[in-house]
Amino acid sequence: MQNIIETRGLEKTFGSNGTAVHALRGIDLTVARGEFVALVGPSGSGKSTLMAIIGCLDSPTGGTYALDGVSVEGLSGTALARTRNEKIGFVFQSYNLLPKASIVRNVELPLLYAGLGRKERRRRALELLEQVGIPEKANVLPAVLSGGQKQRVAIARALANTPALLLADEPTGALDSQTGEEVLGLFKELHRQGNTVVLVTHDPHIAALAERKVELRDGLVVTPEQQAA
Amino acid sequence: MLSGAFRERLFEAWIEIRENLGRSSLQAIGVILGVASVLGGFSISDSQRRRADERWMKLGGMDRLMVQQATAVKDGTPTALQNANLGLRNEDALEGGGLDTKSLDGVSQQKRVRARVRSAYADQDRGVTGIDGDYLPLNGYGVEKGRAFSAEELSEGRAVALLGAEAAATFFPTGDPVGQSIRVGDVPVTVVGIFGEKIFRWRDNQGNQFAWRNRVICLPASLVARRMNGDKWQRVDTVSFRIRDLSVMEKFSEGLGSLLRGNHRQQEDFRMDDIAKRVRKRQSQGDVYNIIFMLSGILSLIGGGMVNVNIQMATLKDRVREVGVKMAIGASGREIFKGFMTEALLVTGLGSAVGLLGGVLFSKFITSFLEIPLFMKPASFAWAFFLATAFGFVFALYPAWKASRLSPMEALRYE
Repeated sequence: MQNIIETRGLEKTFGSNGTAVHALRGIDLTVARGEFVALVGPSGSGKSTLMAIIGCLDSPTGGTYALDGVSVEGLSGTALARTRNEKIGFVFQSYNLLPKASIVRNVELPLLYAGLGRKERRRRALELLEQVGIPEKANVLPAVLSGGQKQRVAIARALANTPALLLADEPTGALDSQTGEEVLGLFKELHRQGNTVVLVTHDPHIAALAERKVELRDGLVVTPEQQAA
Repeated sequence: MLSGAFRERLFEAWIEIRENLGRSSLQAIGVILGVASVLGGFSISDSQRRRADERWMKLGGMDRLMVQQATAVKDGTPTALQNANLGLRNEDALEGGGLDTKSLDGVSQQKRVRARVRSAYADQDRGVTGIDGDYLPLNGYGVEKGRAFSAEELSEGRAVALLGAEAAATFFPTGDPVGQSIRVGDVPVTVVGIFGEKIFRWRDNQGNQFAWRNRVICLPASLVARRMNGDKWQRVDTVSFRIRDLSVMEKFSEGLGSLLRGNHRQQEDFRMDDIAKRVRKRQSQGDVYNIIFMLSGILSLIGGGMVNVNIQMATLKDRVREVGVKMAIGASGREIFKGFMTEALLVTGLGSAVGLLGGVLFSKFITSFLEIPLFMKPASFAWAFFLATAFGFVFALYPAWKASRLSPMEALRYE
């Protein structure tokens, strides 16, 4: 099976010399197509940094990273933007919807950057809102939605260009437990449909829902032996 | 047709402007003032020029070259050659007329005299003009009542007269002057026609600047020369030539100059007045005013542009996260750049529209204050709009570039 994520000796250092902070110290991580992986670890373990690099939002200072078989080191800003647009769907803890754009326009945005025509964009966006269960909210502004609904919109937006990888950063962190369960249910369903999901969380209960758990500590992946210890 | 992405950017920019009306209005103020100032300045100066042109047209057009007597002796005793010189003569007009018959559209001579003019109603000392050739069209006179002089009357110097409106009213306060008789000096002449009244006011509340043109009494030049103020050299006071094609004027005036110098024993005892040249000179002076108005407009556009940069940079702080989100879902730096530019240019465009309206109102107010008709050229609108857009574009570059260079990760984490 082809790997969606393949990192070798991934390093990320912030600052330099005396003040350098080594956020990642050599991460080897492989995520196969269709996997549901939970990235767990305490605060400061490097989860968010790893997610940023996996999501092509940031570049590593060392090591290699191939996304969907393509090495991303040395790609230009525009090429990275295209990669994010076509291959990655982000779901953030704070939803990050554009407050002044209607729900359907929020979902349309990645399709716009992908160069789709207006009618096609609208058709696809409505289809996605239908899929996440809020088709009736298409024309309202994000401000009138509940947290759970906003996260559904964010998921619809993440799925817009049928990405190779769905990357979620604490997607239920801002939701009450019941709504959180519903959103997680949606992720499970998406995984069942064949999507590759990487979910960053510090909640062991949520991590337990994933097929595989990758634990980070001090910028390194904790091996099974270390976990057992 | 607008491409989908551009339309979306425009729509998004419109929403941003609409949602932040106060801020956008502040941004637009500099543009509004700049555009209004450029358009207003240009239009007021154009209106003034147009008014001056109208005056020239009423005086018989700008396409004229006038030759008048001038003194060749500035200081000291005249030389024998200067004394022997004859001055401007009828033959100057005739030979000048033969210089370029193709471009020439009319020639006229004037011979003036002061004389006692009498009718049954009035007895006054007046200036009388002896006219010849195409005097009437060259000087913008039209006969309202009666008729103009015939060629025969002009060549034979018959005792006929044409009166300006005021002269007609003075010498014949009642009844029809045409067919009546007046005495000019000792010569009885018959009035054959009356000129239409000439009126020109710079401002509506001013007196008629053409009042003197209504006072004229015209006789055939040959009559004046023969019976009142003539000499054997057939001297005249003014010779005018009309050249329709202004590009030929310069060449014609050079040719005429050398011809006249030849006739006048190389003495500069005449003065040539190229009206078109004078008008062109005045127009180039007008251009200086236009440049001044444009500069003041540019200064307010620069001031407005700087305010814009500051506002945009402050706004960018509020929108860092939005930029981060857009980048995360696939917007390239170029896309972000275009988005910010579109917004700035839309503000500039809307500001320009308001500024153009302001410029029209401003020009209307000033011209109505000056009491001259408003004249606006499409080019003035185009200039004002072009300058605003150019400055809007330049000043939008820095904030847009800054936004496009944000790191997506840092932008997303920005609180």
